[in-house]
Amino acid sequence: MCNHSIYQLILVRLLQTLPTLLGVVTLVFFLLHLVPGDPVDALLGETAQAADREAMRQALHLDQPLMVQYVHYLQGLLHGDWGKSIIDQHDVLARLTERAAATFRLAMVSLLLAVLMAVPLGYIAARRHGQTADTAAMVFSLLGVSIPNFWLGPMLILLFSVTLGWLPVSGMEQPGAIILPAITLGTALAAILSRMARAAWLEAMALDACRTARAYGVSELRIWWWHAARLALLPVLTLFTLQLGAVLGGAVITETVFDWPGLGLLTIEAIQRRDYPMVQGCVLLIALCYVLANLLADVLTLILDPRQRHVA
Amino acid sequence: MWRNSAVRLAAGCLSLPLLICLLALLAGRNGHVVNLDSVLATPSASHWLGCDALGRDVLDRLAEGVRLSLAISLSVVALGAALGIGIGMLAGWYGGWIDALLMRLADIVLSFPGILLAIALAAMLGPGVENLLLALVAVGWVGFARLSRVQVMSLRHIAWIEALRAVGLGFPAIAMRHLLPNIAAPLLVEASFGVAAVMIGEAGLSFLGIGVQAPDASLGTMIREGTRLMLTSPLLVVWPGLLLFMLVMAINLLGDALRDHLDVRY
Repeated sequence: MCNHSIYQLILVRLLQTLPTLLGVVTLVFFLLHLVPGDPVDALLGETAQAADREAMRQALHLDQPLMVQYVHYLQGLLHGDWGKSIIDQHDVLARLTERAAATFRLAMVSLLLAVLMAVPLGYIAARRHGQTADTAAMVFSLLGVSIPNFWLGPMLILLFSVTLGWLPVSGMEQPGAIILPAITLGTALAAILSRMARAAWLEAMALDACRTARAYGVSELRIWWWHAARLALLPVLTLFTLQLGAVLGGAVITETVFDWPGLGLLTIEAIQRRDYPMVQGCVLLIALCYVLANLLADVLTLILDPRQRHVA
Repeated sequence: MWRNSAVRLAAGCLSLPLLICLLALLAGRNGHVVNLDSVLATPSASHWLGCDALGRDVLDRLAEGVRLSLAISLSVVALGAALGIGIGMLAGWYGGWIDALLMRLADIVLSFPGILLAIALAAMLGPGVENLLLALVAVGWVGFARLSRVQVMSLRHIAWIEALRAVGLGFPAIAMRHLLPNIAAPLLVEASFGVAAVMIGEAGLSFLGIGVQAPDASLGTMIREGTRLMLTSPLLVVWPGLLLFMLVMAINLLGDALRDHLDVRY
């Protein structure tokens, strides 16, 4: 156990991310080579003209040795050249940035929704520990983690769009269109976070510090929301930051359900068209966001929780 | 464990899907019989839950879907556990470069949201149940590996394990007969939650069209087919999702109960 300064610890954590990033890029590079047989066959069909096949092979750099392809791929990524779509020749990185805004909006609204639901739920459950409200909150949490989002989405559409006619079925132009996808994407997160909030709050309230505060006559509300909350919400915040990236994984399915034109829908469209460079680009971008979110979670914990600095 | 109300609830949730499977098996029915006279038929005495867009009996297809979902998720978890525990024990026991190499591999898998990696792998490998299994196992082994590695590392220097080494027992024998029984509890809990996660993953991939392919029925493909007809026959999407939901919830409840029962903390 040695006491490094917090800057050193953050720097170490930043450096540790580099090999992870290289690993991610490497796996994404090899994705193309997972296509069984010859990817060119898969793209053009086995009856294609030899000249077309050769052109496609060159476009994907498949005519070069694997190491050369790999170095070429890395160089391209660093220079902002993420390849071209083989369907419409559109630049992959440009298409990704076009679509990222929609996913970002959806993710932000879902995350906000999840926190606004989870923290009060966790609080009520902990405060009324063992009572009906606690059970109800935990049942919600169980339902939330168990319900698949590709079913929750259609059920919400059936109820709110088809039966009640309150909200649009899909797309993102109409007002209120973000509500159903955000609920669909945020529910599982809200369930996980509320569970964590409840457990962490109960743990914090059992501490001597909180008992002492109570003995000193500090008001119950202040103990819960100041003394205990500062400890209890720390793991919630960490988990939340960790889930920032996971939400992007869930967005692939949610966007497909609601035709929400973001990165997730782009991924699925690219898969259906066998637009392999586009698939690679989507997967890479989402994974990069995921790695950065994990990094952010660790750094935040280091800054906010002095105890963690000794563990590292 | 039976006194636990959660376990009874779980049993209740499991019984309906299992009953549907059992009845279909006993009646010798399958969900592949196309009958164009009964396209989108409403529930009746011969078709209790009606028929889908090809006139296939929905109840029979549900039975097949539950069977397939259970079969896939159980095999994925079994394969993933075998692979992951093997890798984790090797890494934990030998340490050094073997450990470093294997754990970097695990780190890379963990650098992707699980469902995204499974989607990417399944999409690249192409459609088919084998590739679906492969993609899900490739994501699923990591949890088991990390868990068993940590456990083995803490057991490795305990005196009686050292004694086994001193009398000349090799790693395979120590691993199978002595390490495994001692690390089984947390792995069992991991496996039970794993079944629920894989079940959702499999159905999700099938829903996206990159898992189980037509004409086979999985709960995911049924939800996919159902969403297209949601405006005319909403029940087609309700049933498969409801069964999936019940199965996943039951398994999560059992996982919770198992964790409490075995007193596992992680």
